Amino acid sequence: MSEQPTPEEAVPTPARPSVDPRGPRFAAWLTTAVLLVVLFTGWWPLLAAQAVVFALGAFAGLRFSPYAALFRALVAPRLAPTDEREDAAPVRFAQGVGFGFAVLGSLGYALGVTGLGVVATAFALAAAFLNAAFGFCLGCEAYLLINRLSIKQRKVGTAR
Amino acid sequence: MTGALVAVGTLLLCAVVGLVLRARNGRVREGRGSRGTTVELVPEDVRAVLDPAAAVTLVQLSTTFCTPCRHTRVLLSDLAGRTAGLAHTDIDLTDRPELAKALSVLRTPTTLAVDAHGVELLRVGGVPKREDLLTALRPHLPG
Repeated sequence: MSEQPTPEEAVPTPARPSVDPRGPRFAAWLTTAVLLVVLFTGWWPLLAAQAVVFALGAFAGLRFSPYAALFRALVAPRLAPTDEREDAAPVRFAQGVGFGFAVLGSLGYALGVTGLGVVATAFALAAAFLNAAFGFCLGCEAYLLINRLSIKQRKVGTAR
Repeated sequence: MTGALVAVGTLLLCAVVGLVLRARNGRVREGRGSRGTTVELVPEDVRAVLDPAAAVTLVQLSTTFCTPCRHTRVLLSDLAGRTAGLAHTDIDLTDRPELAKALSVLRTPTTLAVDAHGVELLRVGGVPKREDLLTALRPHLPG
């Protein structure tokens, strides 16, 4: 991203879980590649595997994601170390959104509802690609929108 | 075959969306305070957090799941600290979708520049560009 504040503007990082921002970016590229293969081949077990990867990142913690492990083992040693940190909470939330789409897509393909499989996978691909190429976190941005749309449901007492 | 077409279409669409978003990011837009001759004040919840001593308060709207919000917070609090008559405050919209709706905010961070009367002068979506924001604020600041 080109619009990061300059280092002298950075405040001391609070003691919250944080990640090297290049890790999630690398993971987003891998996810993009995996989802492209899924769409081209329609091979749903790969999508189910991606769902497991999403679930590990979202529910267990980012460092348990296999892509994070790959980043640490293969990519990070070749990069210059950085002090730049990113809050882990938004990234985990986005992984959770990805998990939802991946599960939906896997079910669609597996149960023969190919249209559902394709559309759900395409949504996940869109989110992953926007994140990889532009550093734009669709899951994080959509949070506000989803919340706004849920106002109506809340009024009739539906828990969300 | 359909899957392949959808894949290519998705990538193309996202490339366009990404470029548009990148171009719009941090741009200073006109506020929603004055439309024609009628002057509209921001909602009471926002007026309550304005700094009465400041000519302009930068009201940053954030959510928990928002990395650029953190960058914006650092930038704006620094800017407010160095600029006379400028204050900075942060409202967490995570559990307040009603307020997001009342303010017509779709994404975070969005920053509103609100004057002491509660009129929204400017708004910025995304991480503001420091110099652009300062230039746009200049006419509303003392001295």
